[in-house]
Amino acid sequence: MSELVQKLDEPAPKTSEPVLKTENLIKIYSMGKRKISALNGVNLKVNKGEFIAIMGPSGSGKTTLLNVLGCLDTPTSGTMTLNGIDVASLPEKELYSIRRNELGFIFQTFNLFPYLNARENVELPMECTKKSKSERRERAKQLLAMVGLSGREEHRPHRLSAGEQQRVAIARALANNPAIVLADEPTGNLDVENKYEIVRLLGRLNIDQGTTIIMVTHDSQVAAHSERILFLHDGKITREKQGLHLVKKKQICPYCGGKIQLKDVRCPTCKKRL
Amino acid sequence: MAIMVAVPAGITANQQATQSITASYNTTISNMQAEINQTTTLIEVQSSSGRNFEFSMPSGTPSGTPSSGGMPSFGSRTVSYINETVVNDISSIAGIKDLVKYLEASSEETTNETMNGPGGRTFTISRAVYTITGVSLNSSLLGNYSILPTNITEGRSLLENDSWVVILTSNLSDYLGKGVGDKVEVYGEYFEVVGIYEPSGSDSTGTRALYMNVTNAQTITGNTGNVSRLDLYADNASIVSDIADVIKVAYSDLTVTTYADRLSNLETMQERYATSLSSAQSTLSQTQTTATQEIIIAVVATSLIVLFMMLYTVRERTKEIGTFKAIGFSNLNVMSQFLLEGVLLSLMAGVVGIAIGYVAAPTLTSLLLPSGNLFGSSSSGEFRPTGSSVFRFGGTTVTTVTLTPELMSLAFSAAVLLGALGSLYPAWRAAKIKPAEAMRYE
Repeated sequence: MSELVQKLDEPAPKTSEPVLKTENLIKIYSMGKRKISALNGVNLKVNKGEFIAIMGPSGSGKTTLLNVLGCLDTPTSGTMTLNGIDVASLPEKELYSIRRNELGFIFQTFNLFPYLNARENVELPMECTKKSKSERRERAKQLLAMVGLSGREEHRPHRLSAGEQQRVAIARALANNPAIVLADEPTGNLDVENKYEIVRLLGRLNIDQGTTIIMVTHDSQVAAHSERILFLHDGKITREKQGLHLVKKKQICPYCGGKIQLKDVRCPTCKKRL
Repeated sequence: MAIMVAVPAGITANQQATQSITASYNTTISNMQAEINQTTTLIEVQSSSGRNFEFSMPSGTPSGTPSSGGMPSFGSRTVSYINETVVNDISSIAGIKDLVKYLEASSEETTNETMNGPGGRTFTISRAVYTITGVSLNSSLLGNYSILPTNITEGRSLLENDSWVVILTSNLSDYLGKGVGDKVEVYGEYFEVVGIYEPSGSDSTGTRALYMNVTNAQTITGNTGNVSRLDLYADNASIVSDIADVIKVAYSDLTVTTYADRLSNLETMQERYATSLSSAQSTLSQTQTTATQEIIIAVVATSLIVLFMMLYTVRERTKEIGTFKAIGFSNLNVMSQFLLEGVLLSLMAGVVGIAIGYVAAPTLTSLLLPSGNLFGSSSSGEFRPTGSSVFRFGGTTVTTVTLTPELMSLAFSAAVLLGALGSLYPAWRAAKIKPAEAMRYE
């Protein structure tokens, strides 16, 4: 897969406005007297509509980076601008509105509320917004339909398969129409079949809805389905690669240069698996 | 919760019982005081053997019960009479203005009654259905002295030279099912009921008695000329003690009670009452102390239970709290969520507790509070300051514990308040959890 990616010599399409920009992001954890630096100056620029994967070995700071990007944690130093807002300087108690309005989260363990059904889970992020009850319900239904769960709205999580649960989680992440969706190992708890289904769903949302996605994963095959792969090492971005998703966006087969369509699993011209 | 409802209810019941007993005792004592003061010239003469048991009989045993069927330990009373000769001799003593003859007897019919004895044991005694009092019906006597019951509720009282007629207490009237104009059979003879009266004094509860002409009573009981009691009225108060002395010397087997004796008896009784009241009050205050302690324990326990349960919940749901925060819930949202949960929890507990309290209040009260026996059996006994009123002390047990709506709503709001109080800290803890740390928590 990696040589395939390298064949793509064309640069990623540049979108003018970066939705997320970090400069020299540093995060240091104090464990008693020991100081552990999880992020060592991360410089990142994510454009609107991009689908980015962050890869790296365990302990490289993937989760820390995602937490900081997701305003779940504050950086020790550095700047971070999200949708034009300087979030690094915001106090902890103001971050919740950023999380509510600008960000959507997808977790490895889905983190659905077991006592709420699919629709109620999706409605939950809208609970604290101005939307009326019927509006919330309507949007939740739309979102569930979008992830392919029409007719399963009233099912509780335990009656859904792992893949379906993650779809509910994706619908929930999109509830407040966020600027960025952050996914932390979204396929980590799924079998092979569901894994690709979820990553394809993310890709489709990225293309259809223009959702900006940042996905952390250690699965290179999953990462390959994004359009840009960032490699994190010891709290720094050391390498960057283009992903398969870019190909799909351009709708050109990377093997034979023939025309492909989004839904295609194999190239219609050379029959190679995409 | 149940404790919070039942215990105050028990206390209220105890207080009410004490108050009502105190009030009734006070009334009785002041009535007797007045009665004694009106009768400074009265000398009561009775056969000695008839007086021994007084102050030793347990409460509830009717006065004037003959020996039939009583518990042996109580001693038995042999009704002995003052015979006609003695009556005539006494009536000839100088200085006696008037003489009222009484013949007291019990009905032939008896009834078995179950009584509560000390230590919770019960026993059955056989007691007379009613008591009979024959009195002299003489116009000068009826006019000058209070011989007959005054509280006539139906019909009329006995009149001069009434014969073969009776007046009944309302209780007896109910018991026999006879009213004014009906005939009742006493010792095989038929008497017409001319009036119904309500007995006075603390004696009133359940008393079944009737009054008739003394000569009729003598005839039917076969005691012609005999009396069980003589009330002598001296010409003036100054010679009362002289007359009493004369009788005492002449008839050593007779008990002579004068105004002075009755006063001192009343004093004795008041003292005993005071002792018994103070012991009752100390029981009550002891009960209240216990109740206060129990309520404090209940309140503290409730808050602690809520506190620990909510702390556990918050701990258990740390990851969930992290998710809540990740999807945009503010600290305040999270805190109010947990506060609400704590309040709801104790709200439900409140409903259940009040239901339990409502059903089990008497049981809980008897279980949690010291014995409700306010006036102990040590003070049991009875005392007759004059012929017409009997005063009794008795063990009074609190039996009715009622839950008022005020009490229930108070307990309910206490529950809600404690729920809020107990979950305040856990909710605050939940709100303070850092989302990044919460997400790591497993």
